[in-house]
Amino acid sequence: MNDQWTDRLSEYVDGELANGERTALEAHLATCADCRATLGELRSVVARARALDDRAPKADLWAGVAKRIGAGTVVDIRSRRFSFSVPQLIAASIALILLSGGGAWLALKPRQTVAVTPRPDIGFKTLSVSTGRTDAAIADLQDVFERNKSKLDTSTVRVVQQAFTTIDRAIAEARTALEADPGNAYLNLHLADTMRRKLELLRRVNAIATAQS
Amino acid sequence: MSDKVLEDTLTADSIGADAALAASGDASAFERLYRTHVNRVHSLVRRMLDADEADDLTQDVFVRAWQKLSTFRGESAFGTWLHRLAVNVVLARRKTLGVERGRFQGGEDPLAGVSARRETPEISMDFEEALANLPDGARQVFVLHDVEGYRHEEIARMLGVVPGTSKSQLHHARMALRRYLDR
Repeated sequence: MNDQWTDRLSEYVDGELANGERTALEAHLATCADCRATLGELRSVVARARALDDRAPKADLWAGVAKRIGAGTVVDIRSRRFSFSVPQLIAASIALILLSGGGAWLALKPRQTVAVTPRPDIGFKTLSVSTGRTDAAIADLQDVFERNKSKLDTSTVRVVQQAFTTIDRAIAEARTALEADPGNAYLNLHLADTMRRKLELLRRVNAIATAQS
Repeated sequence: MSDKVLEDTLTADSIGADAALAASGDASAFERLYRTHVNRVHSLVRRMLDADEADDLTQDVFVRAWQKLSTFRGESAFGTWLHRLAVNVVLARRKTLGVERGRFQGGEDPLAGVSARRETPEISMDFEEALANLPDGARQVFVLHDVEGYRHEEIARMLGVVPGTSKSQLHHARMALRRYLDR
């Protein structure tokens, strides 16, 4: 049976009828067994749809995906476009910071730091990079981050802290290498650059955390 | 925090971290995301297009996701972002194939050729089969609304119709499936 209310039953199931229509339909349902039965069946269809299980593809499709994205080969991150303006992608910018420029040199191949030959044409006779002010700035920003981190996603905080650990290790290794070779121009510049990267990261994370509040 | 909440939180954290790593070019992190989400994406694609398209389209979705990761801003869960991207890939594919938005005609029984095996262990498979035999327009709306949880306004924007059409198609789909389940 199909009456004037049958076509409105789906909207009723979904709670999309206006108050007046809903009241009128409910009055009709009280007297129409066919509509009540149809209503029950529609609800069963909706429940069945929501209970559908996702099924795996019959074959593993990863190999085809991997081939097309170049997985298994060296990924040229410079060819990828980045747009990290929200907390979730802070982590991506961290990775970029760590993998770009000289950061990777220490972060990925720390043992090579002592093998660098000083360039005699650059006049670093002693440790020329004074890091006192940068150390203080980093400490201040680190304090701000500790206060702000509750405003960020836990996943973001975790990745940020992992990044800090990696950067701090790179800084420590640079300092150690400089103790053995204080005149090394590359190491001096690299230490300054790595510290600058940490400052940039802290500023960025704190700015976004502040914007979240 | 309950074990379930803790587990969900850890899973969400892990997916968020993998999304960030993948955005920086980490293919291993992207494979983990693939493993976590492939069943859902494949099921969506299979329900919205023919089953023989599902494997290729699923791969297209993940390749597109890799290319578009830089636009994932973390305002939603990664799964939600990926799912919306999958819907867009499917709809674009439908356009390429020239699939017309079939409309259910009240006098037809679109599921006449589908066998009914009610109350059997394969009942959900029967439902999937019935779903696949719906007219295209009703099928799209039913999958997006009742299976995937999109609202009519969102579906209307995606399909280029008015919300009233989406509601009408949904009702026709439900009625057709109801009749099938009744046999």
